[in-house]
Amino acid sequence: MASVSPLPEKIPGIQKAIAVLWPSFATAIVATGLFFSAFHPGDLVPFDLDIDVSPLAAYSIGFFLFWLLGILSSYGTMYFIISNCQVLNKQQD
Amino acid sequence: MQSQKTSTEEPALYAAHNKLYPREVSGYFTRLRMLSVVVLLGIYYLLPFIQWDGRQALLFDLPARKFYIFGLTLWPQDFIYLAALLIMAGLSLFFFTALVGRVWCGYACPQTVWTEAYLWMERKIEGNRGRRMKLDKAPTSAAKIRTKAIKHTVWIAFSLWTGFTFVGYFTPINELGSRLFTGDLGTWETFWILFYSFATYGNAGFMREQVCKYMCPYARFQSAMFDSDTLIVAYHPERGEPRGSRRRGTDLQKAGLGDCIDCNVCVQVCPTGIDIRDGLQYECIACSACIDACDEIMDKVSYPRGLIRYTTENAAIGKKQHILRPRVMVYATILLILFGTLLTNLLQRIPLELDVIRDRNTLYRETRDGLIENVYTLKILNMDSKAHRYILTADGIEGMKLLLDQPDIEVEAGTVHELIARLQADEFNMEERSVTVEFQLQAIEANHLTTIEEARFVGPGKN
Ligand code: SF4
Ligand code: SF4
Repeated sequence: MASVSPLPEKIPGIQKAIAVLWPSFATAIVATGLFFSAFHPGDLVPFDLDIDVSPLAAYSIGFFLFWLLGILSSYGTMYFIISNCQVLNKQQD
Repeated sequence: MQSQKTSTEEPALYAAHNKLYPREVSGYFTRLRMLSVVVLLGIYYLLPFIQWDGRQALLFDLPARKFYIFGLTLWPQDFIYLAALLIMAGLSLFFFTALVGRVWCGYACPQTVWTEAYLWMERKIEGNRGRRMKLDKAPTSAAKIRTKAIKHTVWIAFSLWTGFTFVGYFTPINELGSRLFTGDLGTWETFWILFYSFATYGNAGFMREQVCKYMCPYARFQSAMFDSDTLIVAYHPERGEPRGSRRRGTDLQKAGLGDCIDCNVCVQVCPTGIDIRDGLQYECIACSACIDACDEIMDKVSYPRGLIRYTTENAAIGKKQHILRPRVMVYATILLILFGTLLTNLLQRIPLELDVIRDRNTLYRETRDGLIENVYTLKILNMDSKAHRYILTADGIEGMKLLLDQPDIEVEAGTVHELIARLQADEFNMEERSVTVEFQLQAIEANHLTTIEEARFVGPGKN
């Protein structure tokens, strides 16, 4: 379908932000739920560090780490798709 | 039958956002929708305050890792039940979508429900559609700033209340409330209240239909659950076209006009800003605002109602309708099976768990009497709502002795109790170097509370 050029440059920034932030957010919720039902935050303090975090803090930090991972992955996906479209568009010109 | 847009219009998917000013509607479906909004919001804001057995009826106690759902207490071990519930919720969505289309979107989705609430506040403060548009276009003035400031203050207050309620599902809301007033909220509690408030404020105040258009996965794949017998909101083109304005009492036949007077009211009321007369579009959340709006117009011009109505694709082209079709039956069957399994499992669930951990440091020990001894750490999880006393027995090797570090095993409701158990057996009674033994835990005066856990008993082995 050569006539349909995806015009990735035309996608508004806010929608790009949604495409990256939102799926990763939803995934992070699921991942946090699965992870912490299997592991108790108290058992997870790394390398005998003497830090005292409340469960709520542990869940929250866990959630944000998962979100960050998801953001990286979503961003990667978006980047590859958009750059690929740009290459294709150039070839069509 | 899905998007009627042609591919050349595709980039319009990402069109710059134009602010919508949905016009107010009244009518049967609007009343139904408002009822749904009020009931659902009422449940959301009041549910955390309902008590059950001396605690919050619905509480996802994250720090204690326990979920209270009325009489039921779920532990992390019971994760499967929650997963099953979620799967069932998903399947119900499939089922209802196949049957009645996007009723979820129009009547029950939190996005719709809160948007309606925020719109209502906006209308009360800024006035109807015309006034809102005028206000936004007007140059900055003291009056404009004041109106906007009032709106945002009310919105923010409502958002904060929403955020507070949300966190109240995860920490007991009464305590949360008193800590709020004494200024003792934890950092993360404060954070999540603000986070959820901000999300509500943004989604219901500003993003609105854009959430449905760009963020909702359901909106994108609902077409997969649709078929020609699914209930949809549709315009009747044969009746309406050719559209056009006309004088009262015009002879339609002579003028060559359909019933649509092209007043555009259906477009103005649409919360997603589409024109239903262009056919079924994925942006349509089936809120039925356009049905009520058009019916009102039809009444005014004395044409029969129903130019825009709930219908199915088959009905619209005069074909036979099927309610019980294979797709619906399959969804219903899976749903019923899942529900049945979940229920029987829940009813048979034994709120008692025993974990046995063998001492990792020493394989075995020889006692003074020449017996082989293995040491275990036992964790007893009493998931019942009452305290219980238990009897522990062990079995697997002839003449095996069980020694405990405490005379009585009593475990409070909802707690974990740890104890050390030692098993002693004669080497000659062991058939192999490592034998499977069973610990059996039985609650006194509660016969159904019993559980068996296997463990290894290791000896020196026969030469
Ligand atoms: S509200 Fe009814 S009459 Fe008015 S434009 Fe829409 S379909 Fe036509
Ligand atoms: S087209 Fe009608 S039913 Fe669909 S979202 Fe707009 S107003 Fe609601």
